[in-house]
Amino acid sequence: MSTSAKKVPRAATTHGTSTRFDLPGGAVGFVESSTVVPLVSIALSLRSGALADPDGKDGLSRLTARMMRRGCKGMTSEQIESAVDRLGGEFGFDVGPSTISLHAQVIRRNLQPFCELLGKVLGTPTFDQTELDRLKRETVAELLDARDNDRSLAGLAFRRALFAGHPYSRTAAGRPASVETLTRDDVVATYAKRFVQSDVVLGFAGAITEDEAKALGAMLVRSMPEGPHVENELPEPARPSGRRLFFVDKPERTQTQILIGTLGTHARDPDHWPLVAATAVFGGTFTSRMMREIRSKRGWSYGTSARLSIERKRHAFTMGAFPAAADCAPCIELELKLLEDFARDGITPRELAFIKNYMIRSHAFEIDTAPKRLGQALEAELLDLPADYHTGYLDHVRAVTLESANASVSARLTPNDLVVIVLGTASEILDKVTKAIPGLVEHQVIPFDHD
Amino acid sequence: MSQKIAALTARVNEKAASDAAKWTYEGSVPFVDLGAASLGGEVPHVHRFRLGNGLRLLVLVDRSAPVMSYFTWFRVGSRHEKPGKTGLAHLFEHLMFNESEGVKAGEFDRKLEENGAESNAATWLDWTYYYESLPKDRFALAVKLESNRMAKLVLREPQIVSEKEVVANERRMRVDDDVEGIANEVLYKTAFVKHPYHWPTIGWMVDIENFTPDDCVAFYKTYYAPNNATIVICGDVREQDVLERIRDGYGAIPSSTIPEEDTTPEPAQLESREVILKKPTASEKVLLGFHGPALGDADHAALSLLNEVLFGGRASRMYRELVTTREVCTDLRGWVSTFRDPGLYEMYFTARTGTSAKDVLARADAELAKIRDEVVTEEELERAKARLELGLVQSLETASGKAEQIGFYDTVLGDPAAAFRRLEAYRRVTSGEMRTAARRYLTLDARTIIHVLPETPATTGQAAE
Repeated sequence: MSTSAKKVPRAATTHGTSTRFDLPGGAVGFVESSTVVPLVSIALSLRSGALADPDGKDGLSRLTARMMRRGCKGMTSEQIESAVDRLGGEFGFDVGPSTISLHAQVIRRNLQPFCELLGKVLGTPTFDQTELDRLKRETVAELLDARDNDRSLAGLAFRRALFAGHPYSRTAAGRPASVETLTRDDVVATYAKRFVQSDVVLGFAGAITEDEAKALGAMLVRSMPEGPHVENELPEPARPSGRRLFFVDKPERTQTQILIGTLGTHARDPDHWPLVAATAVFGGTFTSRMMREIRSKRGWSYGTSARLSIERKRHAFTMGAFPAAADCAPCIELELKLLEDFARDGITPRELAFIKNYMIRSHAFEIDTAPKRLGQALEAELLDLPADYHTGYLDHVRAVTLESANASVSARLTPNDLVVIVLGTASEILDKVTKAIPGLVEHQVIPFDHD
Repeated sequence: MSQKIAALTARVNEKAASDAAKWTYEGSVPFVDLGAASLGGEVPHVHRFRLGNGLRLLVLVDRSAPVMSYFTWFRVGSRHEKPGKTGLAHLFEHLMFNESEGVKAGEFDRKLEENGAESNAATWLDWTYYYESLPKDRFALAVKLESNRMAKLVLREPQIVSEKEVVANERRMRVDDDVEGIANEVLYKTAFVKHPYHWPTIGWMVDIENFTPDDCVAFYKTYYAPNNATIVICGDVREQDVLERIRDGYGAIPSSTIPEEDTTPEPAQLESREVILKKPTASEKVLLGFHGPALGDADHAALSLLNEVLFGGRASRMYRELVTTREVCTDLRGWVSTFRDPGLYEMYFTARTGTSAKDVLARADAELAKIRDEVVTEEELERAKARLELGLVQSLETASGKAEQIGFYDTVLGDPAAAFRRLEAYRRVTSGEMRTAARRYLTLDARTIIHVLPETPATTGQAAE
C-alpha cells in the first residue's frame, strides 16, 4: 500500500460518441472502438436492479447474478472460472438500485471464444442447488465481514435513514436474514423474469469494430430468454424533515465517519446542472470550501467532500468527512455552519468562474478512454437521462449562471432538514455530537452489527 | 528514430543558457505497445534524456487523447528515513502541495484545478512520485509549478502543524482503525528487524507528532534535487516542446550531493515469528509473510506466476480449496512485493465467522506443501500467464497508466520498458522453475505469522432485523 497526499472527488461529467444500434428482441447495443490497447471491454446491463427484489427478499438480484458463474450447461463453476482465466479475461456482476450489470474485459485475440463463453453463462445457467446453498453461506459470511468497513457501514446507515420507507433504502447485497430465506425457485424466477432480451443494454469498447460488436452482441442477446420488459415504477423520495441523527455505535473508534445529507435533484430537473456546479464549489474539488476549512485549515479529516448522486428518481446530496474521534463534534458543527452559509449566501461569481473552468477543462479526462465514453452512453440509456446529458455536458456547464446556481442551492438545501450519520464509539462522543447539532429532533443509536 | 531525436536534442541545446541546461540524449527503448503492435500501428518508443544538472527525462508520445500526464519521481522513500523520523518522506509529500515562492498556500491546487488538471502523489518504501494529468495545452503550467516546488518550497510551522494532523488522520484511517492495515504494519515490523522495510511508510504516530520544521527543511535540501529525480511525460506532446520547456523550467536548479544509501540488508530469518492481535472484528484473520526476492531478481517472475496459481482468481488453488470447497475463508489473497530490495511474499486469509484461523492455516499449509512437492499443471501455468498479461494491458489504457508504469520500472529497475521484459520473462517460466521458487521461499519454519482475533468471541452473527 502506498500512501498519497490527497483524497479528491472528481466532479460528475459527461459525453458519449458511442454508436448505438438495435439488437434482437428489443435489446440495444453500443460500440466505442479504439486501438489504444488490445483489450475489449464488455458491459451487459439489465434495466432492473435491487429495487425490483420482492419485499423481504433483499439481495435476490445479486444472488441471482452471482449464481450465473456457478454453473451453466456442460460446465461446472470451476470449469467456467478456469476458461475465463485461460482466455485472459475477467468478468463480474454489479447490482445497483436500477440495474444489474455484467462487466467484462478480455485480451483482444480471445474475444470470440470469450463471448461464446459469456453466452453460455448468460443463457444456460443451471442454478445448481448445492452451489446455491454454498453461495448463500458465502454471502452471509461476506455480509458479516463487511462490518469491518466503517465507511461502508456509514453509507448503509445513510441510505436507510435518508430514504426510510422508500425502495432506495434497500441494499443490493441484502442482509444476513434476508439472504438466508432465498430459495432456488426465487432465483430461477428472477432469472426468467428479469434477464430478458428486451431489457438488455449491451456495450463494447476497445479493440473491436462496429460489425464485430453487432455480430457478437446479437449472439449474446439471443442466448438469453425472451420476455417482456420489467416495469420499474418508483415513487419520488420525500425530503427529510427536521434534523435527525443516526449514531452507528462501534467500539474503539479512534476515527469517526460523518455523513450529512438531504435530497438532491433529478437529472431532468431544470436546476440540476446549477446544483451540480454549486456542489462542486462546496465540496467537489481539492480546493473546495469543505476541503479548505476542514482539511487545509484545521487538519481534521484526510478527505472531505460533497456530492450529488443521480438515479432514476431524485437521489442524495451528501457531505462526508472522517475526523478523529476528538474532532468529530466540532467537525459536525463546522460542516453545519458551512452548509448554512452555503444555503443562505450561495456561491460567489469568482467561485462560479473557477468551477466552470475546472469542469470544462477537465472534461477531457472523462472521455479519454473508450470504456469511459461507453460508460457515459450506457448510463444515459439505463438511467433514462436526458439524451444530451453527457453529450451536451459542456453546454450544460456553460449555461449555469450565478443566479441559477444560487437559486438551486437555496431551494434544494434546507439546513434544518437533514439526516446526520455518525459512526463512532457512543460511550465516548455521543453526548458531544448531539450537542453539536442544534435543533435536533431525534437521535437513534444503532449497534454496528445490528443486522 | 534515434537519429532524428539526437539531431533534435542538438538543435535544442544550441539555445541552452549553460551546460547545466544542456540535454544529453541517452537513447530510446521500444515501449512495446501491445495495442499498436497487434493492431498494425507503429511501435512507440520511450526517449531518454539527461539534463546537465542531472535531471532525467523520459518521454512517450501518445496521441490517443488530447491529454498528457506529467510524473516526477524522486528516488527517495521511507527506506531512506531513520528511526525516530519515520514517516518523513510521506509527510513531505503532503507539504509539497503547500506554499512555494511566488505560489501561496492553496494556489498550487487551485491553479491546476482551474486549468482542468488532476494532481496527486504517492510515497512508498523506495520512491515518491507526484503527478499531474492535464489537457495537452496546459503543459507549461505543470512545468512552472513543478519546477518551482522542486527548488523553492516554503516550509512554515503553521502549515507543517496542520499537515501533521492530516497525516495523523490518514494513519487512523489506513492503519489504526483498519484491521487489515494494522495487521500488515505488524507483519513488516516483525519480519524485518534490520532493514528499513521494518517501519511503515506512513510512519509511527509518535514520530508524526514530533516532526519539526528543521526536519522538513533538512529532508528537502537532501533529497529534492534534479539529480535525484526523473520526469516522465506521456501524452499528446511534441518532443521539441518538451525538451525546451523542461530545460527552461529546471535548467537553473542546482544539483545536490545525494548521500550514499546506508541500508543494512535484512539477515536471513531462521525461525518462525508469530504475533497475536485482538481487534473489534467479526472474524479471525491470518497474515503470512515469507521473505521473497527483490523485483529485479530472476526468481520474481516465477514467484509471481506461482502466486497466480495459488491466489489468482476463483480457479486458483487456495480459492477453490479454502473458499469454495472447505468454506473456511471469505477472502484471501497473495502478493509478491515489488520492492527494490528483497521484500515479502504476503498472504492474507479471512476466516469465516465461527471458523478458527488455525484451521485456515493448516489447510493453507497443505496447499503450500503441494506446490513445493509437485509441479503445477500446464493448464494452471497457461492461466497464470494469461492473467498477468491481462493485468499489464489493463494498466496501459490511459496516458497516466503508461507514465506510471514507465516511471515505476525506471525508478526501481532502471528500465522504463521493464514491464514488457517481465511479460517476456513470464512466458519463459517453466513449472519446474516455479517449484524451485516455491521450495526456496515458502519455508514454514522461517516465516512470520500474524493472527487477528476478535476481541469478543465470534457469534454466528445471524441477528434478526
